Amino acid sequence: MHGPIGEVIQFIDLNAYTITFLFIVGFIGGLVSGFIGSGGAFVLTPGMMSLGVPGTVAVASNMCHKFPKALVGAIKRYKYGQVDIKLGLIMGVFAEIGVQLGIMIQKAILDKWGQAGSNLYVSVIFVLVLVIVGSFVMRDAIKMKRAKMETDVGSTGLAQRLQKIELWPMMTMKTANLRISMWFLLPVALATGMLAATIAVGGFIGVPGMMYIIGVTSIVASATELVIAFVMGLGGTLIWAYYGMVDIRLVMIILAGSLFGVQLGAIGTTYVKDYMIKYVMATIMLIVAVSRLFALPKYLNELHLIAMNDTSVSIATKLSFGIMCLALLIGASIILANLFKARRLEKAAMLNV
Amino acid sequence: MLIYPKHKATHKLQPANTAMLNESTSSHSTVEEIGRIARAVQPNPSRERSFIMVVTRNGHMSEHVMDYAVNVAHRLGYSILAVHVDTLPLFNRSRRSRLFAHAMQESMALFQEKAASNEVIVEHLGELGKIGHVIGRLCRAKKRIEFVAIDKGIRVEEAARHSPVPVFPVLTTQQGVFSKPHSLSSTKKGVFAMSTTSRKRHLKQCILFGALTSTLYGAVFAYQDLVMTYFTKGGVYAVLPVATVFAVSYFHGNFTGSFWSALGIEASKKKTATQVAPQPQTTDTVVAPRPDTRPRLQVNA
Repeated sequence: MHGPIGEVIQFIDLNAYTITFLFIVGFIGGLVSGFIGSGGAFVLTPGMMSLGVPGTVAVASNMCHKFPKALVGAIKRYKYGQVDIKLGLIMGVFAEIGVQLGIMIQKAILDKWGQAGSNLYVSVIFVLVLVIVGSFVMRDAIKMKRAKMETDVGSTGLAQRLQKIELWPMMTMKTANLRISMWFLLPVALATGMLAATIAVGGFIGVPGMMYIIGVTSIVASATELVIAFVMGLGGTLIWAYYGMVDIRLVMIILAGSLFGVQLGAIGTTYVKDYMIKYVMATIMLIVAVSRLFALPKYLNELHLIAMNDTSVSIATKLSFGIMCLALLIGASIILANLFKARRLEKAAMLNV
Repeated sequence: MLIYPKHKATHKLQPANTAMLNESTSSHSTVEEIGRIARAVQPNPSRERSFIMVVTRNGHMSEHVMDYAVNVAHRLGYSILAVHVDTLPLFNRSRRSRLFAHAMQESMALFQEKAASNEVIVEHLGELGKIGHVIGRLCRAKKRIEFVAIDKGIRVEEAARHSPVPVFPVLTTQQGVFSKPHSLSSTKKGVFAMSTTSRKRHLKQCILFGALTSTLYGAVFAYQDLVMTYFTKGGVYAVLPVATVFAVSYFHGNFTGSFWSALGIEASKKKTATQVAPQPQTTDTVVAPRPDTRPRLQVNA
């Protein structure tokens, strides 16, 4: 064994329950990722841990399943002309820096306040980011739906103002159809990476950031996020694999499901109206935020900030995980329902012509 | 105006003049027999016929190009030489060329049908190589090609550089209108548009990649102990899991893609094209002029 951690790692035995669970979660997570550009990862890590997988292996395997999934999704959506590769690669590289920054912050907090403090920090970030960004995206989606906008103009006031600022180096994105200074891509990408390092789903900042700060349409933003996820995932996986933490069996089982999902999610984007992506994304974000709220008591208890008995803590923890799964399920069912509804309508329309 | 390729400009005449010359020469040589004049006007398989060369690099020629060629040939009393050029003969040789040949047959059947109703004769050639070279070669080998009409996908400069006769791209503002009743999947492009039995092709792919994926999974899980020992060694061995997941994403990715396609779940045909650059909605109350859907000739040969 190379690393010192390698000695103590126990890789779990697989059974029918484990395999089925990972396959299904993989599929649903993949479906959501293919559609909104990210997601699913936040359920997989705690999910694997609940099966008895050690934390580091769960994180490493999750990371390792993320980049092939993002790759397949990105290729599929590139065929539909939705991916801005240049934007994705540039942001991916900066996001990678963000990931390293995020890990440094995590380490600093871990040293100062210990494991419970670190968990609390993660949960607080989770709740804050998801509530703020999620409600903003939700408001926008509802506004678009009310206004019956068929297509997403993509440019908010802020994005338009930023695009007007000529600050070297300016970059032209062809698919996204915009020209913007690299200095405005940088913070969005860094934040994406930092969030990815903290809560495993960078897309919750990346996609809204691209939509509202850079001015990309939601379709292109969610597709380009897959490229960013690929770059970040590959970088992360190489590091984790270097320490021998990746359980390839878990990765392959999750991938078996999630590649089915990601293809279907990508197909889904060609049917729905643009606000639907924002809507699904915001719904998932807000429900996950609620779920993390239930996880807070456990960490507060561990830090002796509040006093709760063990049963209520364990109930809250289970509830938290349950709500998280529910978030994914709801997201997936909205996508599937819309996909099949739109397909029916299109078929009917074709028959009428 | 018509502009000719420079090096040939002095030797060639404008199509209209050529047509007149054509008739006059035939009348010169047939002073004694009046019957032959009639034959020169009627489309017939004699060697004196003039041709419109219609070139495409796609398996299915666009229908508005066919319609245009047939109409013009009918009015001028010309014949048509339809040429399908396979510009990538070495790429994915077996499957692609088979699909191309199949698409070519379908396309020609449609063309013959259109031409027959207008009493126009269509000859067909399947060629390999670069568009420009094929056009240049055919124009020299075949007599009386008056002008070349090119389908979408061919750059007019490329065709004109090698062509001794004028080259016209045939454009239309609404391609769908012309192809709707026949619908040879005009919304799709390239290789993917070549087969009409795409469902069957997806099924084949699905089975092939499904088998490959199961082999890969079978291999990893049959030797899990060995695999886990080496894959978690760390260091240089990090390449192993990364390479494996890349293989999984290729095989399983293709499998899942063709799986949904074989089930008939594919991307919406309407929206994919418009998603990249959505048009900003105009709020003007002024009624926009009706779009002109006729095929049109762009003259910059």
